[in-house]
Amino acid sequence: MEENEHSIIRAVLSGDKEAYGTLVLRYSHAIFRVAFRITGDEADAEDVVQEAFLLGYRKLESFESRAKFSTWIYRIAVNCALNLKNKRKPDAAYQIVDDAEATQHQLQVADTAASPERLLLSREIEALQVRAMQELTAIERTAFVLRHMEARTTAEIAATLQIAPNAAKQAVFRAVQKLRRSLAPLRVNA
Amino acid sequence: MNHLTEEQLIEHYYGESAKSMRIEHHLRECNRCAETYATLRSDLDAIAPIMAPARDAGHGEQVWRSIRNFVPVYEQKQQGLWQRFGSLRGLNVATACVFLIAVAFFAGRQWDIYQRPPQIQTAANNGTRQPIVLVVLGDHLGRSERFLVALRHGDPGESTALVKAEAQDLLSANRLYRESAIKSGDRAFAAALDRLERVLVEIANEPDDASAARLAELQKELNTDGLLFEVRVLRSHVQDEQEEQQPAAVRTLGVLI
Repeated sequence: MEENEHSIIRAVLSGDKEAYGTLVLRYSHAIFRVAFRITGDEADAEDVVQEAFLLGYRKLESFESRAKFSTWIYRIAVNCALNLKNKRKPDAAYQIVDDAEATQHQLQVADTAASPERLLLSREIEALQVRAMQELTAIERTAFVLRHMEARTTAEIAATLQIAPNAAKQAVFRAVQKLRRSLAPLRVNA
Repeated sequence: MNHLTEEQLIEHYYGESAKSMRIEHHLRECNRCAETYATLRSDLDAIAPIMAPARDAGHGEQVWRSIRNFVPVYEQKQQGLWQRFGSLRGLNVATACVFLIAVAFFAGRQWDIYQRPPQIQTAANNGTRQPIVLVVLGDHLGRSERFLVALRHGDPGESTALVKAEAQDLLSANRLYRESAIKSGDRAFAAALDRLERVLVEIANEPDDASAARLAELQKELNTDGLLFEVRVLRSHVQDEQEEQQPAAVRTLGVLI
């Protein structure tokens, strides 16, 4: 796969623009997923996907053949998403889920018994989690998403965000602490 | 060993602790830390991954279609300067002289263009939208205009799925133009594209089996007539810009990022 990717990149750099489409097709879903997790907004995530692949194409000459394209484009996308998140006001991107229609931004919670009470509780939990995530700073949210949801190591997070490993670790810690404080009421209800 | 800190426990939870064995041992020995860790684990386990909305199999294709017109072909960067210079050695002296004269002539022309006073800026051309491809932008606005006209006339024979597909297609391109307009500081243009985007989003998110009547209703709600007029005005401005810039030797083929 890697060898194949490198030959695709060589083809693009030799003038075969269309070959880049193969890479876009291969990674657009993964890039959209992480972009959505960071931005919390479908339209923003689509913007990030487009911007990341555009930037990727423009910087393709700087891509090192030792690296994996997936990791490289992933890092570009995370930074695009982080930049976009930084530009937005804290309360603009993530809507507080108060009604049943706002399903797109909800967090998914395991729910084995779908009784009305259980559903109501699930919805409350979801709303609380959405709000808790919203209260994080852009860097904390990104670091937490990468650590908790994308299973990236501290070293990978640091490399992706171009910060020191200790700063990446601290961002995850702060995020966890804030989330735990915000989600404390769940301990009583759950 | 002292009690474990929250940081140590968080590190341990994510499997990144350098003293994993010692922490495990301590958790077996110390009830207080074990209890704290159990609560932490329960809290973090409860935070499920954010599920991104599903994208169909054609998503990658759609993304590629929306950006392919904005990326240049890597062909002139294949040869380094020295390689290019080296290739000149293959030419005879006369050809090289002709080449140098041509380069000097071209440089002179460019210098002349550069020295000209700047043109008076219009509302549609604040001099900030240079990076947007005028030709492609004109095409986009033309397509949007045709789309809005079709929506207005509401051909009952036309499938809603087709209308939706066209809206989705236009939406991707429109986002790029809007972002580019914002980055180049053209607020009026960005606002107009934003209004167009809202209409496209609404239609793109309609169910596949939406009736023609529903589209007509949507058209009224969104005041697409006003938008149609706006798109026409924008398109005519873009055409003017194109005509003004026609003599320019180089036309940018890309968007700002």
